[in-house]
Amino acid sequence: MVALKPEETKQVKGMTLRRDPLREDCFSVVNSDAELKEWPDMSDISRRQRLHRHMNNETGAIEIAAQCLVDFPEAPWELRMHLARQCWDESRHVASLYRRLREIGGRKGEFPISNFEWTVTCALDSLAARLALQNRTFEAGELDLLGQLPPKWREVGDDATAEVLESILADEITHVRFANQWLRRMIQEDRRVLLKIAMAARFLSAVSAAVAPKEGEMSPSGLPFVKGEEKLAPVNIEDRKHAEFSDAEIDQFLRQSGFESIMTTGAEG
Amino acid sequence: MTLSVENRAEKVATFRFIHVFLMETLARWVPMTPEMEVKVILGRHIWDLAQQADALGKRTYELRAPLQFSLRPLDRYARFLEEFARTTATSEKIHGFYEVMLPALAVRYRAYLDQTDRLLDEPTVRIVERILGDFTRMESESQRLLDELPELRPVDQTWLAGLRKLEAAETDIVASRPATAVA
Repeated sequence: MVALKPEETKQVKGMTLRRDPLREDCFSVVNSDAELKEWPDMSDISRRQRLHRHMNNETGAIEIAAQCLVDFPEAPWELRMHLARQCWDESRHVASLYRRLREIGGRKGEFPISNFEWTVTCALDSLAARLALQNRTFEAGELDLLGQLPPKWREVGDDATAEVLESILADEITHVRFANQWLRRMIQEDRRVLLKIAMAARFLSAVSAAVAPKEGEMSPSGLPFVKGEEKLAPVNIEDRKHAEFSDAEIDQFLRQSGFESIMTTGAEG
Repeated sequence: MTLSVENRAEKVATFRFIHVFLMETLARWVPMTPEMEVKVILGRHIWDLAQQADALGKRTYELRAPLQFSLRPLDRYARFLEEFARTTATSEKIHGFYEVMLPALAVRYRAYLDQTDRLLDEPTVRIVERILGDFTRMESESQRLLDELPELRPVDQTWLAGLRKLEAAETDIVASRPATAVA
């Protein structure tokens, strides 16, 4: 892949990120999740906002997989097939979330959106680094989130959305799994890939720190921000296993999430 | 006279090149196209094109060429493809791809079916027939998209006719296979 041209980048709080992908005029695009309007409850507006945000995240996932096909034509064909398949899966996710959003009275552009995952992931210059961030970090985080969300939607009587989320979860497992399989293979072939992955992780930490809300800052919805660690969804051990994370890796996620005390039993379960 | 094994390998590898190229073209367009519904249909069809390329690439191996072997078409046609990939307006992307490129490729596939021995080359015939079926579905999905986003219906008809003419001008697109073919 060739290095990004200046016109393909944007500056956000001192960080050089990839410029946003194109969006329709009805959308108001912000630079970080902290600038999004969010509601902690499951009120009507909160439900619409959740679906709207998820829909844009899945749109970003199509774009990231598609851009990997463009930027890394030399990647092994089998891996490109996985990325092409991912484009289809993410497209179906967008369509199903949009259908559901309209069913509950929402519309495109009703809330601000952020393309954070694209701007960070597609700023990286190796396929290994992008798989490590998009599939193994962001999408793996989605496994945790989607593992706990369907019951929340069912509690408010919205079985239809719960079913959409469960279907999406099944697809996301396959995306995390192929990334895990290919990253292992890439590392086996060339240990320097590890360095690329470490640099990607460090880049994500730096960007996340740069765009994080300051102490005492209020969210655009007028509510205090929930701290990062409080926001973490419980580790979805079963699906992370389906996605071929090792027990040691799952242990590490549990430690990071403050689940150290249940770590051993949980990881074995 | 029917196609030799070597002729078939070259033609199948050329088709594979075109499918990979079109897959990459749709992929390039996804982030560069504002309409969400268009991103969705492009994402769907990236996978169709990849599967078609994969089937063709498996077939090249059965025709005494490398696995997943692609053969770049003759220069003029390759340049035509590259020019098409640079299309920027959404309506031109949609009308150009679904109303010119896919139907034109279907014409080339039907010509292949007319030329080849349908018994000796039945594995390729089956692949081509499946691809033609896919094209019909892809084109009808694009019609549904235009029903959903009628603002994309108007298109510069002169541009579209020009694209059709340029494509049809290249009757022979298969280059000779290099001595050492690389997948």
